[in-house]
Amino acid sequence: MTGAPLTPAQVPDATVSVESVSKWFGQKVAVSDVSCSFGPGITGLLGPNGAGKTTLLRMLTGLLLPSEGTVAVLGRAPRSDPAVYAKVGLVPEEDAVYGFLSAREFVGYSARLAGVADPEGAAGRAIDRVELNDAADRPISGFSKGMRQRAKVAAALVHEPQVLVLDEPLNGTDPVQRAHLIAVFQQLAAAGHTVIVSSHVLEEVEKMTHRVIAMVDGKLAAAGNVGAIRRAMTDIPYRVRVDTPQPRVLAAALFADDNVNGIDVAGDSLHVETADLSALGTRLPPLSRRLGVRITAFRPEDESLESVFRYLVGRR
Amino acid sequence: MSSAAIITRMSVRQTLGLRRAIGFGILALAPAVIFVLVLAAPSRIDELELMTGFLLFPHLTITTPIITLILAASTLGDERRDQTLSFLVLRPVRREIIAAAKLAGAFLAASALTGAGGLALGVVYGVTSSDWGLVVPTVVGTVVATAVYCAVFVPLGYITDRSTVIGLAFVFVWENGIAAAVGSLATTSPWRIGFSALSGMAPKVLSGGDIRDFALGDLMPGAGGALVRAAIFLLLSTALISAMLRRRDLA
Repeated sequence: MTGAPLTPAQVPDATVSVESVSKWFGQKVAVSDVSCSFGPGITGLLGPNGAGKTTLLRMLTGLLLPSEGTVAVLGRAPRSDPAVYAKVGLVPEEDAVYGFLSAREFVGYSARLAGVADPEGAAGRAIDRVELNDAADRPISGFSKGMRQRAKVAAALVHEPQVLVLDEPLNGTDPVQRAHLIAVFQQLAAAGHTVIVSSHVLEEVEKMTHRVIAMVDGKLAAAGNVGAIRRAMTDIPYRVRVDTPQPRVLAAALFADDNVNGIDVAGDSLHVETADLSALGTRLPPLSRRLGVRITAFRPEDESLESVFRYLVGRR
Repeated sequence: MSSAAIITRMSVRQTLGLRRAIGFGILALAPAVIFVLVLAAPSRIDELELMTGFLLFPHLTITTPIITLILAASTLGDERRDQTLSFLVLRPVRREIIAAAKLAGAFLAASALTGAGGLALGVVYGVTSSDWGLVVPTVVGTVVATAVYCAVFVPLGYITDRSTVIGLAFVFVWENGIAAAVGSLATTSPWRIGFSALSGMAPKVLSGGDIRDFALGDLMPGAGGALVRAAIFLLLSTALISAMLRRRDLA
């Protein structure tokens, strides 16, 4: 069987599919004609505040009805088929916790409603997984933001969902908790779960995954591997840092290269702008040998998620 | 335990915190306390007249609806305001089950207090008059009225943040004003449906000439009819809430 070729926003083994989805609230368009899919592993959903990430996630989970288009989770429409929630977990951005319950009761409530066979045992394991044991029997109302986040994650994980949707899951967590939660999400991804993480903190997403879907102004701005997205942005020159003890000699030679758009010299470093990164990388070693200049480092400066994202946002 | 029982139990716990239980418990018992205080005064009034003319109606038309309004409207309203509705609806539980469980939770929480108020009123009347025939009817009438109020106020609390104001307008303008003047509208008045059960079980409460028109309108006394009406209200409310959970944005 052959189908239409996949776009970079789609994956072949999709567990969550979004087809031409739009959502508007009155006159305001929050999400406009987005099509994408998510499969096993972690996918980062990126965008500045107001980009439509949360609205898209809420449509994925059935909390919001799309104004147009369709959403399918594990082949089913969550809104009309609540049974699918036995395989879906959501950590919402907002503080969706019952303050009068202890963390153990809260996670146990989630387990019972999900139909888990041993809810107490599952709750204990989920609490252990997010390292909330010490506070598990205290009311959530007295929890810090980071502890509430972990309680929410435990409640979303307690039934081992096949699809886990995380909306800013690391908000309020300290660096140690953050690293631990990232490791938990990576373990789930490695075990074949679909993990969708929305965040505006790019550093967090970069630690978790290379596959991203970027949204700007309610539209899909880019999707795929971060490096591939950057390489596809041919209209924006690369910026490369080249460290050498003789920067001025090397700079003078590089100016003659047609692919070099500009050079800044800062101490023992050159910051080179080029339209063709691989050509520069190929030409630099013979050039340095010919000039007798030693190159101690060659580092693309804008292949990071943050630079890619900055470009994407700046383009709009 | 079934999903419905789990949600109902949690809903009672969520709706009926300690402060609310104490505050509304005092309010629910107020008519019975007033009964005791009036009977302790030197000038004695006939117990049945005091019960039916002065205390049963405040109990049914003021304390029962107010207590039920606050508790029932908060059942789904608090979930929406506290943003925990997303937690509840993203579970593999049918919307009808969530709606029915939320109604059941509101009913159990509210009727625990209003029913206790009705029971206290009936017991005080029984102790003072040695006539225990009003205890069960008062409790049944109160509980039936509470169920119908829940059917109205649970969806109201979900739909609007102004449920208290709208609910009070429903009780004091619609029920005690318009429905009192137009007998055919009595079927839309929860406390009248409760009173029809009560008066069906204890016809003596209709002994005052003016009471019947005001309290029953076109309704006939009878517990069976009242229970059927309450069941219809609850079914319609379940259908309405589940439709809203399916068709409205939930966040």
